[in-house]
Amino acid sequence: MNQMTRPAPATTVDPITLQVIRGSFETIAEEMGHVLYRMSFSSIIRESQDLGAGLFDAHFNTLCESESTPMHIGSIPGYLRGIAETLEDDEWYEDDVVVHNHPYHGASHTPDLAIVVPVFFQGRLVGFAGNTAHHVDIGAATPGLIIDVPDVFAEGMLFAGTKLYRKGQPNNAMWNYIRRNSRAAQQLVADIEAQVASARLGAKRFVELLEKYGEDIVFAAANQLMDYSERMTRQRISEIPDGDYTAEGWLDDDGRNRDKRLKVKVTVRVRGDEVEVDLTGSADQTPTAYNVPFEGSTKVAAYAGFRKLLLDSAVSDIRVPSNEGSFRPIKVTAPLGSIFNPKAPASAEARFTQCNRMIDLIIRALAPVMPEQVIAGSSASISFAAYSGVRPSGDYWVFLEVNEGAYGGRPRSDGPDSIDNLMANTRNNPLEDLAMHIPMICDRYELRDDVPPGAGEFRGGIGVVKAQRVLTPAFITHESERHTEAPWGIFGGSDGAVGKCTLTNPGHPGEEKEMYSKFSGLAVDADDVMTYYSPNGGGYGDPLNRPALKVLEDVLDGYYSAQHAKEAYGVVVDLEAETVDMAATEKRRHAMRQIS
Amino acid sequence: MARIGVDVGGTNTDLVLECTKGVFYHKVPTTLKNQSIGVVEGVQGICRKAGIDTTDVEMIVHGTTTATNITIEHNGSECGMITTHGFRDILHIGRHKRPYNFSLHFDVPWQSQPLVKRRNRIAVRERILPPTGEIVEPLDEQAVREACALFRKRGINSIVIGFMFAFLNDAHERRAKEIVLEELPGAYVTLSSEVANVMREYERFSTAAMNSYVGPKTAFYLRDLDSRLREAGVTSKLRIMQSNGGVSTVDACAKRPVRILMSGPAGGVIGGASEGEMAGVPNIITVDIGGTSADISTIPGGVVKIMNPRDTYVSGHPVLTPMIDLVTIGAGGGSVAYLDEAGAFHVGPRSAGSEPGPACYGRGGTEPTVTDAQIVLGRLDPDMALGGDLKLDAALSHKAIEEKIAKPLGMTVKEAALGVLKIINSNMALAIRSNSVARGIDPREFSIMPFGGAGPLHGVALAEAMACRDVIVPVAPGITAAVGLLKTDLQYEYTEAVIVELMKAGPAEFARINAAVATLQGRVQAELDNDDIPRDQQRITVVAECRYHGQGFELRAAMPDGPVTDANRHVITDSFHDQHQLDYGYSYRTAEVELITIRAIGSASVRRIEIPTIAATDGSSIDRALMFVRTTTFDDGRTLETPRYDRTKLLAGDRVPGPAILHQHNATTLVPPGWVAETLDYGNTRIHRIGA
Repeated sequence: MNQMTRPAPATTVDPITLQVIRGSFETIAEEMGHVLYRMSFSSIIRESQDLGAGLFDAHFNTLCESESTPMHIGSIPGYLRGIAETLEDDEWYEDDVVVHNHPYHGASHTPDLAIVVPVFFQGRLVGFAGNTAHHVDIGAATPGLIIDVPDVFAEGMLFAGTKLYRKGQPNNAMWNYIRRNSRAAQQLVADIEAQVASARLGAKRFVELLEKYGEDIVFAAANQLMDYSERMTRQRISEIPDGDYTAEGWLDDDGRNRDKRLKVKVTVRVRGDEVEVDLTGSADQTPTAYNVPFEGSTKVAAYAGFRKLLLDSAVSDIRVPSNEGSFRPIKVTAPLGSIFNPKAPASAEARFTQCNRMIDLIIRALAPVMPEQVIAGSSASISFAAYSGVRPSGDYWVFLEVNEGAYGGRPRSDGPDSIDNLMANTRNNPLEDLAMHIPMICDRYELRDDVPPGAGEFRGGIGVVKAQRVLTPAFITHESERHTEAPWGIFGGSDGAVGKCTLTNPGHPGEEKEMYSKFSGLAVDADDVMTYYSPNGGGYGDPLNRPALKVLEDVLDGYYSAQHAKEAYGVVVDLEAETVDMAATEKRRHAMRQIS
Repeated sequence: MARIGVDVGGTNTDLVLECTKGVFYHKVPTTLKNQSIGVVEGVQGICRKAGIDTTDVEMIVHGTTTATNITIEHNGSECGMITTHGFRDILHIGRHKRPYNFSLHFDVPWQSQPLVKRRNRIAVRERILPPTGEIVEPLDEQAVREACALFRKRGINSIVIGFMFAFLNDAHERRAKEIVLEELPGAYVTLSSEVANVMREYERFSTAAMNSYVGPKTAFYLRDLDSRLREAGVTSKLRIMQSNGGVSTVDACAKRPVRILMSGPAGGVIGGASEGEMAGVPNIITVDIGGTSADISTIPGGVVKIMNPRDTYVSGHPVLTPMIDLVTIGAGGGSVAYLDEAGAFHVGPRSAGSEPGPACYGRGGTEPTVTDAQIVLGRLDPDMALGGDLKLDAALSHKAIEEKIAKPLGMTVKEAALGVLKIINSNMALAIRSNSVARGIDPREFSIMPFGGAGPLHGVALAEAMACRDVIVPVAPGITAAVGLLKTDLQYEYTEAVIVELMKAGPAEFARINAAVATLQGRVQAELDNDDIPRDQQRITVVAECRYHGQGFELRAAMPDGPVTDANRHVITDSFHDQHQLDYGYSYRTAEVELITIRAIGSASVRRIEIPTIAATDGSSIDRALMFVRTTTFDDGRTLETPRYDRTKLLAGDRVPGPAILHQHNATTLVPPGWVAETLDYGNTRIHRIGA
């Protein structure tokens, strides 16, 4: 029955139809993402939009993906391959719905559940509609997030090719199991239902598109779009001189062994129109959750790094579609057993900061040959905090918060301040919304003013300071980085500043506890305040070349002090008159140039 | 009994007057330094043209780009902000999400073009706590006074007051305003709780900051216009088009200019939609090309779309007000063509406006514009602008293009002029794509409707770039937005935050809801009464904006007739479940439904302008409309002898083959070779490929 004629493969789609189908694909993906975040209940999905959604062909190629957060973009094909390895019944039926999150079967990390539905057209499986979303709690060892755990089984519920619906019929045992195994079961179940609605909508739109334009045209268009992305990527790679480019950095620790820093080594090998990212030389896998799933995260992050560097969507007139084509010329290598390619059963949930650091080091490695495209060192970490507690009713509340960082200075502009950087691009949770629903209150959310950003002709971005107070006894797990190595300055710019994290309580003024960048399941008291300071970005170019008036503006805006303006930039500011002392500045800058 | 629509663009002020004698059109140059001078002149002029007295005018509906241009040109008021201690940088941080996923060199508009600079954002001690809005730390009034002293020193007179949780309790915002007005008498003050009384601090503060940023200039303009009209003996009511397509009063708009950021474009979209109806074409893409900018809106099936207030951004800043769904780009007749320091060739978004205007205006402008390129290519006849009312100097156009573009790039003047148009058309096509193809709309099923005086010069090029089916040119392209102003309803909206879990609600909650409904109904009724709308013609709709408890986004649900009670609360919840099912394909029928906002919308139909039909062709030659023949250069580089026709002498059913140019007082239509222009029933025109 299913052996119908296959669509002719060699159809060429005219340029207008191609653009229309491309627009339709992108619209379907946006609509899927839109339904998911608008319907969902947990703030990590509805406000932060930590999700991804798209359509895929039967060979797991991405046809389109929502522009949600980069870590999700490009990760779903890994899930689809993992599902193929583990699928219940060994086959897809119409109206099946699968849930999947196994990190050793292609998942990005366990809290990112994928919901996938098969797309059948005229009785044949032609592709998939699916999405991923970060869930508040899947019953791991500690609420919300984990770091210091022994293995992957401490991550909570593991799903591999698990059918939530078979032929349209709910698998009630599985739904009941999920409902019984999460600290935030109501949100988890409702948000999975939102994912199912989004995936089903995508499948419906996919079939409508096939009916409107015909199967052969739609898939031919998809293939042409992939070839196009591949061509564009190859063209850009071929503009980089052939060679091996290396950069190294150090991660603070693995969340348990505090005295052991972890090396990240990136070698970028450019050969013609292909490139390899080789992570050999990076630290061995850790005994905690601080490892990166290779298929679902390491590769995805490396691809994303090159996409930013080569196909910058803000400055390029040409917008390259989001699909597999741009990945084809990029090879990613990480030895099995290393932090970027752990062996089962190592836990690999806390993987974000390593990915961001890898991208930062790819940029650094290429700086000598791409000075106009690279930027100075960004915070290249993340602050991912899980706050939780038990309500008087005995129910848990769990809140996940992603805190931002700052960018490094850039060849033509300052590094943006207090913003999600590199692989992260979520939205913050409105502080008012948060406090209406959870026993927490934010005491401070501002630019960092305790240390200046990296000085440069183009200064580094300024990190954020965020102080969150819990109103009842609570648990906090914090996944962060960069307390020991500051973002790098470049081409004469100075380094930025390291991050920090403190614990205080207004009832004990003067007492401040410095925290490690990662800690797990810490029990805190009512009114305890965790304050996070994200790293400041590095500077780009010689600070003495920064126009004196720009330095004045910075000082007036409180980005750094008049003292720092004088010391780092050689600019003498009259604060009362709000002007630059031009003569004194010229003199000082002249003297500073003599010394350097 | 006469009504006037007046639309002020960056370059021209367009007017339409409807009275028992018929429909009259008029156009005068915009007086940039004070737009109201041009408006008053225009009103007087069009009354003379119609042969009526200015006292016969009962209503003037005004669409203005004053507020919009401020955001585009970043020349709003220097603002000061007073905010809560610890939260100085909410406007700088925004939602901490960057505009692009895959970019290292992106711009962050709310940081690079802040509505309030950090040095002027002063955080003072005060604290209101959720969920009840109780005050746990009183307002530090001395700190507010000190902030005012700093603002005074810096010459700042436009103040934003935005405190955390003000949507629960606005006492501190109101008190701070009293102090500011004591310290800085006459200051323009915006409270976040007044402009957007909703949860989410960044969006609320941004809306308030935008109001103060555009407020003083816009308020001055509106009040000045009102008094100048009075001085000129015009006694009519003055109403302002709002971004949502409804009109409002001068006083309301001066206080809340944030509601008229899309005033100008709104009239165009509504005018375009009704022209689509007149041409019998349901699917249109309107392209309203003015002197400074172009506004693009996709109207499928004749229905104008309103954006969700959660998705409304102006110049990169969130602004929580209802707006017609459209995109604006800096591309118009006055867009300046220039070479940057690295030699790259740009056209726009900077505009020469009408003072100095394009080089050909002879008002001292030396930079070439899109209009100058049209002149050089023979597409605009310098002696025919505004039917000959405006004299243009072709030699100045030629000189500007030669000196600024052609010579530096080593091109001929003709090549340079074609390049200017190619770039501007490509910019517009990309914007059209973002509003159509990128949303899965197939442009081949749509007609391009170009308007604005120079719009029909670009229509065919855009239709070709987008592969649209054809081009529909409105009856009076230069005046289409002004005509749209007379095709809209009166509309007033008021909202109030009423956060209630509906399934748990008891008599106290119902009383709160019913009190809010009564207040809101009273407000919109007062507005409509003020417009002399009889009560039986007032339409007041109240909607409940709800979400499932724990969700982040609201949907609109119906309210029961009469007060909400235990017995009829299900009307709201059922309607919400149904809407959720309709929008998302899913509903959680047993989950708690939370009411967030009550919105009252009051409207009343006003008499719509009626455009007369023209006579059908008698089969005579179109030579009756032939004016003269001159050379014109087309996009393929060919320069052809091209006849000019008087568009007003063409009859319904006439067909004019390209190459041709159709002239009328307020617009010029270009018909390239290979295309034919067919006159329709109202004197409107369909241009399509020969044989298509």
